[in-house]
Amino acid sequence: MLAIKRRMQEFSLIGRDPVLALSLIISALFLFAFIVFPIAQTVWSGFFNKEGQFSLTYFARYFDSYYGPVSRQIFLDTLTMGVLTASGGTILGFIFAYTIVRCRVPGKNFLHVLALVPTVSPPFAIALSTILLFGRNGLVTKGILNMRFPPGSNDVYGMDGLVFVQIITFFSVAYLILRAMLERLDPSMEEAARSMGAGKAHIFRTVTLPLLIPGIAGSFLLLFVEALADLGNPLFIAGNVTVLSAQIFLAIAGEYDYQKASALAFVLLIPTLVVFLVQRYYVSRRSYISVTGKPTGGLIEEKEGWIRWPFIIVTYLVSGLIVILYVAIIYGSFSKAWGIDYSFSLEWWKQMFQRGIESILDTTFLSILATPIAVLLGMIVAFLVVRKQFSGKQALDFTSNLGGAVPGTILGIGFVLAFSTPPWFLVVFMYVVLFLFTLGILKTSIVEKVTTGIVGTLLGIGFFLGGSQIGLVLLTYFIAILSLGFGIYLILTRPKKKNGIKLISFGIYAAFHTLIEYVAQPLMRAANTIPEGTWKNAATQFPDYVQVFFKLPHTILGCVLMILIVTIALQEKPAFRRILVPLFMGGSFALIFGGKPLALVGTPYIILAAFAVRSLPASVRSGVASLQQIDPSIEEASSIMGADAQYTFRKVTLPLIMPAILAGLIFSFTRHMTSLSAIIFLVSAKWRIVTASILSEWEQGGISMAAAYSTIIIVFVLIAIGILYLVSGKMLRRRGGIDITWGA
Amino acid sequence: MFLVLENVVKRFPPRGGAAEVTAVNGVSLSIEKGELVTLLGPSGCGKTTTLRLIGGFEVLTSGRILLDGVGIDNLPPHKRGMSMVFQSYAIFPHLNVFENIAYGLHVQKIPEPEVKRRVRKVLELVNLLGYENRAPNQLSGGQQQRVALARALVMEPKVLLLDEPLSNLDAKLREQMRTEIRRIQQELQITSVYVTHDQIEAMTLSDHIVVMNQGIIEQIGTPEEIYRHPNSQFVANFIGRANFIPAKAKSVQGREAVVECYGKEFQVSCKKGITAGTKGVLVLRPEMLWISDREGVFKGVIKRSVYLGNAIEYEVAVDGASLIVMETNPKRMKLYARGTSVTLDAYMDLAHFLLA
Repeated sequence: MLAIKRRMQEFSLIGRDPVLALSLIISALFLFAFIVFPIAQTVWSGFFNKEGQFSLTYFARYFDSYYGPVSRQIFLDTLTMGVLTASGGTILGFIFAYTIVRCRVPGKNFLHVLALVPTVSPPFAIALSTILLFGRNGLVTKGILNMRFPPGSNDVYGMDGLVFVQIITFFSVAYLILRAMLERLDPSMEEAARSMGAGKAHIFRTVTLPLLIPGIAGSFLLLFVEALADLGNPLFIAGNVTVLSAQIFLAIAGEYDYQKASALAFVLLIPTLVVFLVQRYYVSRRSYISVTGKPTGGLIEEKEGWIRWPFIIVTYLVSGLIVILYVAIIYGSFSKAWGIDYSFSLEWWKQMFQRGIESILDTTFLSILATPIAVLLGMIVAFLVVRKQFSGKQALDFTSNLGGAVPGTILGIGFVLAFSTPPWFLVVFMYVVLFLFTLGILKTSIVEKVTTGIVGTLLGIGFFLGGSQIGLVLLTYFIAILSLGFGIYLILTRPKKKNGIKLISFGIYAAFHTLIEYVAQPLMRAANTIPEGTWKNAATQFPDYVQVFFKLPHTILGCVLMILIVTIALQEKPAFRRILVPLFMGGSFALIFGGKPLALVGTPYIILAAFAVRSLPASVRSGVASLQQIDPSIEEASSIMGADAQYTFRKVTLPLIMPAILAGLIFSFTRHMTSLSAIIFLVSAKWRIVTASILSEWEQGGISMAAAYSTIIIVFVLIAIGILYLVSGKMLRRRGGIDITWGA
Repeated sequence: MFLVLENVVKRFPPRGGAAEVTAVNGVSLSIEKGELVTLLGPSGCGKTTTLRLIGGFEVLTSGRILLDGVGIDNLPPHKRGMSMVFQSYAIFPHLNVFENIAYGLHVQKIPEPEVKRRVRKVLELVNLLGYENRAPNQLSGGQQQRVALARALVMEPKVLLLDEPLSNLDAKLREQMRTEIRRIQQELQITSVYVTHDQIEAMTLSDHIVVMNQGIIEQIGTPEEIYRHPNSQFVANFIGRANFIPAKAKSVQGREAVVECYGKEFQVSCKKGITAGTKGVLVLRPEMLWISDREGVFKGVIKRSVYLGNAIEYEVAVDGASLIVMETNPKRMKLYARGTSVTLDAYMDLAHFLLA
């Protein structure tokens, strides 16, 4: 009873703070719809066959004698790959970190940047270049060493090649974690040990290493999960070895068997989730070193040459290898016929632009568009988590991280399963949440709340039925005109124009849902007059991009309308509110349920959502880190000097978290451009993604085309990072003492 | 009364396994216009929470807060017309000194020339003219403190709240800023509430001191009242040092009593409401005792003696108990060795009788 009473109190407290309530409801709905719901769908459908009957077929396969050996082998191979990658990557990451932090290595900054390059390149870049260099037709293996690979001989394909590639791809994560720990290790502890007469090796064994254990364990677990989740590298280089992520991919791409894919996804989800939980709730709390603090003054530097030089040499050798791997990609894209004729040719680039300009533009456009969405959402979640108290905070934090932590394939399957046909459960759930939220936040009597709810929903059903007669287009126009009418009325009669402007803007926007076609069609006709070729392919994409901004799914439009009406109703008198709220509640009901609600597969919005979900954790983490560094009394100081919450946010909080936002933008954009596993199943004929194009070129043997695509992604990402650095340099010049807090 | 707290209670709901905490448990307090009142107490006594309740950063669980006769419980901080100096200074790191101080004036959309004039005035007041364009990280701790103070003063607040403003400064600077804050406060006649755990700060600054402990008020009074006539052993111990000697009230007349102690009778002051026959303790400040050659009040043996320069501190064993003696008379500064039997004399008329 007491708990319920407290919830009620809390609810009314949240109601007192509409900004909090709104941001909470928006982020919670997004996270539920695009993280929890799809994952649940995947898990669920692993247990049901096409006829909808409960079936454990694919789980049973692990134990029967026919499929068992292969299934178990795949599972075992997956774990082996994960453990080897995690160990190797952590060791390599440690060597890099130790060299850079403690060994006075020349070219420190260069090494640092180089160690981070694999994190910003497309998923199979390393696999691709490894094959270019060491494959059967590799530059090193065939071109220089002139090796031959008769069938059955040991080549780069297989477990060894895969683990090598995974280590190079993922060691950056270990490097970042261990570097941060080494920098923050208080040198006085090692000095204390030394003053007590301990030798170098003894100190390392008894002081340094134990203090680093949380970091080492953390990076091991993270690498394990990343390696398990990765799809790109195994598809390229695993050869006869199959790992779970590839098996899942093939279950869909080859067999079109979603139950099998889901069941396998569930098998993959378990170790991932366990490790994620262990890392989050056990390892990260065992840390002896606060990772948010500033590096302590003097760092210990390695003086003994016999320790220092081996570290430096290994680091430089691996760095050289990384450079060569990337040069190989670029070189590969400019070679006439790799393995046979290495002469310079622009043929592949020409072909790529002709055939692939659409996917390059689509990917870039959608990545850019998803970036502010992900960062804004990330900052909202971070703000709620750091600054506000409410129940379910842990769940919010956890879920926002989950989307990036689960293997992308699981999410991708979930998206296909959830959003191919209208997810009625989700739509109803969303409406009910918004409905309860609207009624809960209005400051009125219970009777009025119930009446409003009933009248609104009945009106909504009326609109909905009417809409199914006249069609969704006319219905949208109708609601647009309704909003325009009320908006104009508010502008004419109220001293404050803000609410009127809000409604009119919504009306215009809703009208353009269809009107935009009158803009897009002439553009398309104009584009079609361009002669065939790259330019025409590019120009015909443009009208689609314009439409993306206006053709939001009706359900989303309906949710926006409902939230808009709540904010307006809170400032209006009861008499007017009693008309406004039920009427527009009806309107948004009809919009939310109209047509095929949230059947998003095939639309660009599902790709946007997948992008945002994948990059959300990076934004949240960088937001949390920067907010935690801001003393809450700074915001209170603004408040007591007369600034309201909005002014405080604009003038104090926002400028202070700007570095985190910029870092979030870089991370998110990069993550979008390079994501593969989560969106590979969501690509449609109209909306293509470069990583998927690389895969299909590769499957057709176009290794140089794949290299050209990879190069262009890397170039785009580097340009984006460059631009953001320039912008942030200009914006943050005045602020001493604030440096970019990386969200890694 | 200008600022009134009526039976203010603040409970923090249980969070993350911790039980519910009652930080402030029925505090009533009246502050007159223009005076500086200190909330003094050990950490966790509820003084900062009380201040934050006045500022509007926390919501009252029950009770009322009135400013100039009007209830302000439901007003958010930005509508209370107060300003605050924070323990961490809370200077906006992205704004320079001028922008920091002008922040609140800009919120009120005051015309720029007026803003400039007012900022100049407070900068003069805190001796920071010429620092307008400095970034906060180019200022020393003391200068940051002055900026924080100037930023609060420029608002010409109805009430100035100060949350342990000097605790991050070193001892010398603290002393200097203490005097300066008092000077400015008296010059501008700003009603101020000052939170501190430092008794010397409280003694030197305040018109009235409010001693708090475990969410309740132990005593309210002028610095002298609090020191001379503490209401409880807690207050006597928290402000200055005190010896407690068991005693019994023989007869009481108002705030005067005759008490019996070690078989002798003394005329002392006492807490209000004490009746004859009550057992209690006598509060004897260490400086009220001295070692005498003649016959004194107590007999004892020196357990420890420390030479402090301006005084000598003794610990003297008397009848199983230990008394602290602070010898401050330069003429009597003879250092007695450990183990010496001595006679202690005391200004027993200055002693104060309390319930044990």
